[in-house]
Amino acid sequence: MGRIAQYYHATSLEDAFAKAKQLGPVAAYVGGGVELVLRRNPEITTLIDLSRCGLDYIAAAPEGIEIGSQTTLTTISRSADIKQYAGGSFAYWAGRIAQNNLRDMITVGGVIGRNQPWNDVVPHLVALGAQVRLFDGAERIMPLSGYIEAKQPGVIIKGVLLPAGNAGSSGFLWRFTRTQQDISTLHFSALVSFDGKVMTAANLVFAGRPGHAALYPRLSEGLVGKSLSHETFARVAEMALDLVEVGTDLRATGEFRRELVRAAIVNLEEHMTGVAQ
Amino acid sequence: MTSEVRVIMTVNGTEYHVTTQTNRTLTEVLREDLGLLGTKIGCNKGECGACTVIMNGRSVTSCLVLAVQAEGATITTIEGLAEGGKPSALEQAFVEEGAVQCGFCTPGMVMSAEALLTLNPHPSAAEIETALEGNLCRCTGYRKIVAAVQKASQSRE
Repeated sequence: MGRIAQYYHATSLEDAFAKAKQLGPVAAYVGGGVELVLRRNPEITTLIDLSRCGLDYIAAAPEGIEIGSQTTLTTISRSADIKQYAGGSFAYWAGRIAQNNLRDMITVGGVIGRNQPWNDVVPHLVALGAQVRLFDGAERIMPLSGYIEAKQPGVIIKGVLLPAGNAGSSGFLWRFTRTQQDISTLHFSALVSFDGKVMTAANLVFAGRPGHAALYPRLSEGLVGKSLSHETFARVAEMALDLVEVGTDLRATGEFRRELVRAAIVNLEEHMTGVAQ
Repeated sequence: MTSEVRVIMTVNGTEYHVTTQTNRTLTEVLREDLGLLGTKIGCNKGECGACTVIMNGRSVTSCLVLAVQAEGATITTIEGLAEGGKPSALEQAFVEEGAVQCGFCTPGMVMSAEALLTLNPHPSAAEIETALEGNLCRCTGYRKIVAAVQKASQSRE
C-alpha cells in the first residue's frame, strides 16, 4: 500500500475537502478502497475516508434520482427505483460487474473518481445522461461526460444524478469480454427513447477503445427520427466505423476493435428491436 | 514511512483494540495479529475470494480492505461460525455433501454463503452461484458446494 502515513476519517464534506486542500496531491479520497489497495500509488501518503460523510443513499431529487457517491454497486442493483429506471439497465449491470464480494465494496463515486479506461460503470452513466454533484467548498452540478474530460483534483464527488425523463427509455450496455470478470476489449453503451417504432432520442457511448468513455453525437443523430429497422442500424454501423476512434494496446489491435464497433451496433439493434416488440 | 493507528473492531463477537500500520490489510491483521488463520491469502488481489469475511453484514475480500477501514466494524470470520464448539449447519453441510476437497477455498466459500443465507435464507441455485461467483475453487468442486448451500438453506427459517 505504498507509504500511507495517515488514514483520515472525515466527518463531513467540508472536513474532507479542507484536509485534501491542505495536503494537495499526496492525498486521495477513499471510495470503496478496492483500487487504492490494489494499485498502490507511492505518491499518495494520506487517505481521506468519506464513509462517515453521509454519502450512502439513493433518493429522489428535483433533477431525477440521486445516488450518493459512497453507495455500493450491490445497493444500486437492489434499488427498486433504479430497477425501474431506463428499463432497469443500470441496476442490471450494477449487479453483474466484477463479482459479488467486490460489488459489496465498489462505490459509484469510486469508479467515477478513478475512471479507468476499462471502467464498466462510467460509459453507461454517460449514456444515461448522468450528472455529478460536486463539492469544492460549495456544491455544483455538471454533466458526467464533462467531468471525466477535465477531472478536478481535490473536488469531492458527492453524488450522481440520473436525469428525470428517462422513464420510457431503454438503457443498453455491451461489454466484450472473455469472462464476466475480465477487462473489456471494448464497451458500448446507449440510451434510446422511442415513440412506437421511431427513435426520438439517443446517446451512444464507446469506451475501452482503449480510451475513456466518449459520446458520439453524430451517431446519435443517425438514429433520431428513424425507424427501428435493420437499415437504420446498418447505416449507423457504417458511420461508426469511420467515427469511433480505436487503437491498439496489449488486449487488442485497432483493427479488431473496429470490428467490435460494428458488432456493438448489431447488438444494440437486437436489443432495441426486442424492447420495442 | 508509514504510521501506526489504533483500530477498534469487533471480530466474532469480541472487541479488539489493534495497533497497526496504516498500510496493512484486514487479512493481515486477522491472520497475524489476531491469529485467525482460517481467513486465507490466495491471490491477494481480490480475485480468488479465499480471504472472504463478513464485514458489517457484507461479504468482502479482506485483502482489499485496509485494517483502518474496519474501524468500528463488526466482522465475522470462519472461526466465528461454530456453534457451541461444533460446526455450524452450513459447515456441516459442506462436510456431508463432500464440498471440501483441498479445503483452501472453503472458508471463503462458506463466508460468502453465510452472507447470502443471512440475507436470503432460501436462495435458488442461480442466486447461490451469483453469491459464490467471487470464490474460485481450483479443485473445481462447484456442484457439491452449491448442493451444500442448498442443504444448509433447508435448516434456515
